[in-house]
Amino acid sequence: MKNAKEIFKNPVLLCVMKRFARYIITVFLAFTISFFFFRSIPGNPIRRFLEVLRYRYGIYSTEDQVLIAEYERIFGLEGDLFTQYLNYMRELLLNWNMGPSYVNFPTPSQVLIMRALPWTIGLLALATIIAWALGNVLGSVAGWKRGSKIDEVLTPIALVTSQIPYYILALLLVLVFGYYLGVLPTRGAFDPRATNLMEFIWSVIVHGTLPALSIVIVAACGWTISMRSLLVSVLREDYILFARAKGLKDGYIWRKYALRNVLLPQVTGLAMSLGFVVNGTYIVEYLFTYPGIGRLFVTALNLLDYNTVQGIVLTSIVSVLTAMLLIDLIYPLVDPRIKALGR
Amino acid sequence: MKNAISKSRLNNLINTLRISPLKLKIGLSILLLLSFIALLEPMISSYVLAGRSTSGTFMPLLPLSLEHPLGTDNFGRDVLATVIAGLRNSLLIGFLAGLISMFVAIITGFTAGYKGGKTDQLVTATTDALLVLPTLPIFLVIVYYTKIADVWTMSVILAVFSWAWPMRTVRAQVLSLKERPFIDLAKITGLNDFEIMFKEILPNFLPYLGVGFANSVLGALLAETGLRLLGLGPAQMITLGVLIQTYLAFGLISLRAYHVILSPIIVVVLLFVSLNLINVGLDEQFNPRLKEITGI
Repeated sequence: MKNAKEIFKNPVLLCVMKRFARYIITVFLAFTISFFFFRSIPGNPIRRFLEVLRYRYGIYSTEDQVLIAEYERIFGLEGDLFTQYLNYMRELLLNWNMGPSYVNFPTPSQVLIMRALPWTIGLLALATIIAWALGNVLGSVAGWKRGSKIDEVLTPIALVTSQIPYYILALLLVLVFGYYLGVLPTRGAFDPRATNLMEFIWSVIVHGTLPALSIVIVAACGWTISMRSLLVSVLREDYILFARAKGLKDGYIWRKYALRNVLLPQVTGLAMSLGFVVNGTYIVEYLFTYPGIGRLFVTALNLLDYNTVQGIVLTSIVSVLTAMLLIDLIYPLVDPRIKALGR
Repeated sequence: MKNAISKSRLNNLINTLRISPLKLKIGLSILLLLSFIALLEPMISSYVLAGRSTSGTFMPLLPLSLEHPLGTDNFGRDVLATVIAGLRNSLLIGFLAGLISMFVAIITGFTAGYKGGKTDQLVTATTDALLVLPTLPIFLVIVYYTKIADVWTMSVILAVFSWAWPMRTVRAQVLSLKERPFIDLAKITGLNDFEIMFKEILPNFLPYLGVGFANSVLGALLAETGLRLLGLGPAQMITLGVLIQTYLAFGLISLRAYHVILSPIIVVVLLFVSLNLINVGLDEQFNPRLKEITGI
């Protein structure tokens, strides 16, 4: 059994712990900043909410103030800003509680977010991975056969398409497949009329096709471009020339010399995109009325739902920071050049 | 004398453009054409409206005709004139946001790169923090709650979220340039920091500023159009995003009025494609190594 001092002497472990400490501090700072940001928005949403109630149901009695005070207590808006902050952080860190939502009143925000998260992650993570794989294959072909017919056609198309916003492509896909051809559904995430599990799963796939396609097409073009330029610059290296001069087969050069060098930055890129998945494509979800995080965010924003909006922003920040942490921790394991430094 | 210098500069510019990559030429042509149309907006709309008041003056959803080249929309507005008005506002917001963010990026990037030390650490830490933030949701929250209504405020808010990337480029350039001998020479000559920054260093990375500017405009347009598609932002300020959103909301797709809904979408696509071509083209032109690698 090692004692504490010896553990601290291990440079790799020390490095990991430092990185982890930085992660914790950044998350904490991000939470604090976003809390004060949201509380500094002018107008007390509870009062506005109650004004709507008053207008609708004609509540004009002296009980009003009591009602407001009670609601402020429930929503964590009583006391001065600092007390509110302490209460919020205590609830968040100890009870994983982000407070009640208005979107669906007594239901706590985190429950709503957790309900929406699987849809977003399922749709976007899958679309991101498919796009990544597709883009790498296309980019490899274009880069390996640089100057060929395939390259000359594929690369300019990919270059132009990669910069079209997801949501514009989504609109075009809706126009063509949803209305002009009328072959794919354009709203929702599943068919509520599905009677058994197989029908339900099939309807989820069919409903997800258009939103996923709009992301896959644009993102795959981006990956194609980056893969192509990485590969072209690697193929210019002297060791590739040497391998060719030795008379090695193309397939062997590709597997042993080129692939390893180009895949590393692409894998990092994939990890980053997966981290940004949660805050990626609100507008696509909104356009397809997909029940994910983006749609929940827009609904919450329209209803002045503090807790849910803030909760979603926090979820986004944590997922991005976690992705960065994982990249930093995993990179030395993948990249042989960094491994030497750690030992 | 001065005239001769400016003339040779002009010749220089023309020469540079003549040998520039095809991408840059195509991108610049599309963007200039769109900007030109947008500038002519008052003339075109008065011609199309033929002296009538602004909207709702024609029969709704007329097909394409000589009188209305792109037909009319659901409010009885001429689609061509409306799209051009939207294009004008979109371009204005994009360019303003781009200019503001480049201005901030140059000032902060210069200060951080040139001064170094504590100042550098502070500025770099701030931009790093900005880059991690999920910008779209925060941007949506600000726009929703502040109820901004004019082009200027919108541009400033968009710029706040887009200066971090160009700032990093500026800083990196300044860091490498300030070690060059000609900067030492300028110091010995007795130029002050300000003169060195703007007379000696800045002209050396104008192309990078061009790339940064195109990127900022792209980012601003992306955010603005997306925001409008969600139905947020001031409705009285017509941009391309507002047009797409209203046409969607009034179910023009179901009415099969494809020409109406496609018009703003095609203009948006042209804008994005042209800006991106300029971006890539500039990169290639001033980065010959890159041209060898990625040239198509």
